[in-house]
Amino acid sequence: MFRILVCVKAIPNTTEVSFDADGKLQRSSAELQWNVADLAALEAALTLRTPESTVTVLTMGPQKLEMPLKELLARGADEAILITDKSLAGSDTYATARVLAAAVEKLGGFDLILCGKQSLDGDTGQIPGMLAAALNMTCITNTENLAVSNQQCALDRILEKGIQKLTLDLPCVVSVQPYAYTLRLPGIMAMRKAREKTVLMLNTQDLDLSPETCGQSGSLTKVVKIHPMRHGHRNGPKEADLAVGTARILTLLKEVK
Amino acid sequence: MISQNALHHAEKCRFCFMCRHLCPVQLQTGREINTPRAKGLVLSMVSKGAEAYDQAMAQTMYECLLCDACVNDCATGYQPPIYIREARTEAVVNDIAPAEVMALIENIEATGNIYGMEKPSFAQNGEEILVYLGEVASCKEEGMVKSFLQLLQKAGVSAKVLENEPASGAMLGDLMGYVDEVVQQAKACTAAINQTGLKTVVVLDSYDVQIMKQKYPEWGCEIQADVITATAYIAQLLESGKLQVANVNRGLAACHDDDRLARTFYEFAPIRAIAKAAGFEVTEMFNKERLAKSCGSAVALAYMPKIVTQIAAGRWEDLMRTEAKIMVTANPQAYLCLSQAIPEGYQLVDAYTALLSNLK
Repeated sequence: MFRILVCVKAIPNTTEVSFDADGKLQRSSAELQWNVADLAALEAALTLRTPESTVTVLTMGPQKLEMPLKELLARGADEAILITDKSLAGSDTYATARVLAAAVEKLGGFDLILCGKQSLDGDTGQIPGMLAAALNMTCITNTENLAVSNQQCALDRILEKGIQKLTLDLPCVVSVQPYAYTLRLPGIMAMRKAREKTVLMLNTQDLDLSPETCGQSGSLTKVVKIHPMRHGHRNGPKEADLAVGTARILTLLKEVK
Repeated sequence: MISQNALHHAEKCRFCFMCRHLCPVQLQTGREINTPRAKGLVLSMVSKGAEAYDQAMAQTMYECLLCDACVNDCATGYQPPIYIREARTEAVVNDIAPAEVMALIENIEATGNIYGMEKPSFAQNGEEILVYLGEVASCKEEGMVKSFLQLLQKAGVSAKVLENEPASGAMLGDLMGYVDEVVQQAKACTAAINQTGLKTVVVLDSYDVQIMKQKYPEWGCEIQADVITATAYIAQLLESGKLQVANVNRGLAACHDDDRLARTFYEFAPIRAIAKAAGFEVTEMFNKERLAKSCGSAVALAYMPKIVTQIAAGRWEDLMRTEAKIMVTANPQAYLCLSQAIPEGYQLVDAYTALLSNLK
C-alpha cells in the first residue's frame, strides 16, 4: 500500500482577524479555514492516488477542527488525524514541525509527505523543510505536476527564472504551489460516508512528547509584538519638483534619525 | 457542513431590506422566511447550534429560484445563492430534502433529465456549429426547438445536434448544489461537445450557458469551442443579413429578460432585436434587463408548481402595467413557466417561432 500524508493547517479568516493590546493575533476570535496551499497539496495527493494507495490528512489545532477535517474526508481523503493539546498553543514553526514529525514517526510508513507551499497567516514556508529535516528526508519546495512511479516522485519545481524538472527517491517531503491544483468538490455519497468516519485524535502523550518540547517552551522563536500597518498615511503634500522633493525627504529622514 | 465561505455570505447581511422587495418568491408568497436574508439568518442559527437543520428549514431553502435578483441588488455585495445551494446539499446529504426534490434527483439519475422520460431526439449531422438544446427544451418545448433549428436552416447554417445530448449539470446543480455528481455531469458534457470538434456551440437554454461559462472552467472542464447563446447567435444572423425579414407590424410586445442571461451576462439586446425582426413594436416592463423579475424555472416548477405558477402570474402582472398584450421570450424555461398563467386576452410568444413566421 502506497501511503500519502498531507499536512494541512487551519488559519484564521484573513479578513476577520483581530489583535490584542500587545499586538498578538487573536486566533480564537476568528473563523478558521483551511489554508489554500494545503488544499492544493491534498488535491495533488488525490490526483496521485490509485486503488493501491491511501491519502491521510494530518493537522495540529483545536478540537473544533474535527468537523472541518470530516469535510476533507468528504473531499476524498481516506483518513484524518488531529493532534490537539492545550500544551501545543504558541508553537512556532520549529515546535510544530517536531510535533508533526513525531506523529509521522508514530503512525509510520508514509511514502510521500505533502505540504502547502506556505500558510497565509504565518507566511514563513518553513514547515516542509523543518519537517523533512526532523524526519531526515529530502525536501523539495514550491512544486507542481507531481507524478509517482517505481518508488520515485517526478515533479516540477517553480524557480524564479524557470522550472526545474526533478525526480526524487521516496520517501520525501514536497511542498505544493497554492494555485497548481484546485481541490475537488465532495459528492453526496462521500459526504454521507465522511460523517460516519472517525477522526483520529492524538495528544502530546500519545506522541511521547514532553511538555518542554511543545508550545512556547519548545519554540525557538517568539512573536513579541505585531505592529499594524498604517495605510494611506502621507506626510505633507505631493511634490512635483525633484529638488524640492529630495530636500524634503532628507529633512524627514533626519527627523526620524 | 456549510462552508465558511457560505456562512460569510449568510452572516454579513446588514438588513437593508432590498432583497425583500426583489425576491420573486417572497413577493408572491408574502412569507418573511422566503427572503434571502431570512434564509441566511436561519443558516447562521444552525451553524451556531441554536437550531437543528430540519425538514421545514430544508423546504424553505428550496423555495428560491436562484435567480440572482438578490445578488444584483445586495448593498453589501453578498451572494445568497451560494449558501442556499450549500443548504440544499446539506438537505440531500441528511435526507431531509422535500420528497418532490428527491424524486427529481432520482429521475436525473435514471434518465438524465428531471422529467424521468426518454428525451426526444432532434439529432442532426451538420458541420458548422453544434446546437446544445438542453433537457427542458428537448422534453417540453418541441415547438421552440423546431423553430430554432428551422431558422438555422433558413440562414444556411449547417447545425449538428447530438443524438444523446448529455445533461449540462445545471438542473442537478440547482437541486443539490455544486457537488461532485454535478462535476461528473459537466465532465461528460464537455467530453461530448469536444468530441464533435466543432468550434462554436450555440446553447438554447440560458441555465446551461451559465453553468458552462461560469462553473465549467472552475471544475477544469474546458470546452474547446466558443459557447454562445442562441439569442445572440440569431441576432448575429439577422445583423449579417443571413436572415431576411418581412416588413410586418404584429403589434406591441414586451420582452421577458431571462434572469440568468440578464444578470450573469448582461445580455438584453438580442431578444429585443429578434422581437423587432419578428415584427413586434417593443415596449418595456418596469422590471427589465438586470432588474428583470424571474418568472420561475423549470426545475422549481417541477417541485413547487403552485408557487411557480403564482410567480409566473406575477410576471404577467408586470406586463399588464404596460400597454402591451404580448410577452416575448426566447428561453424554454421561461416559456414553460409563463405558459402556466397566461391571463385572458394576453399572448405568450416564442421569439424563434415568431421570427420564423416573419421571414421573407
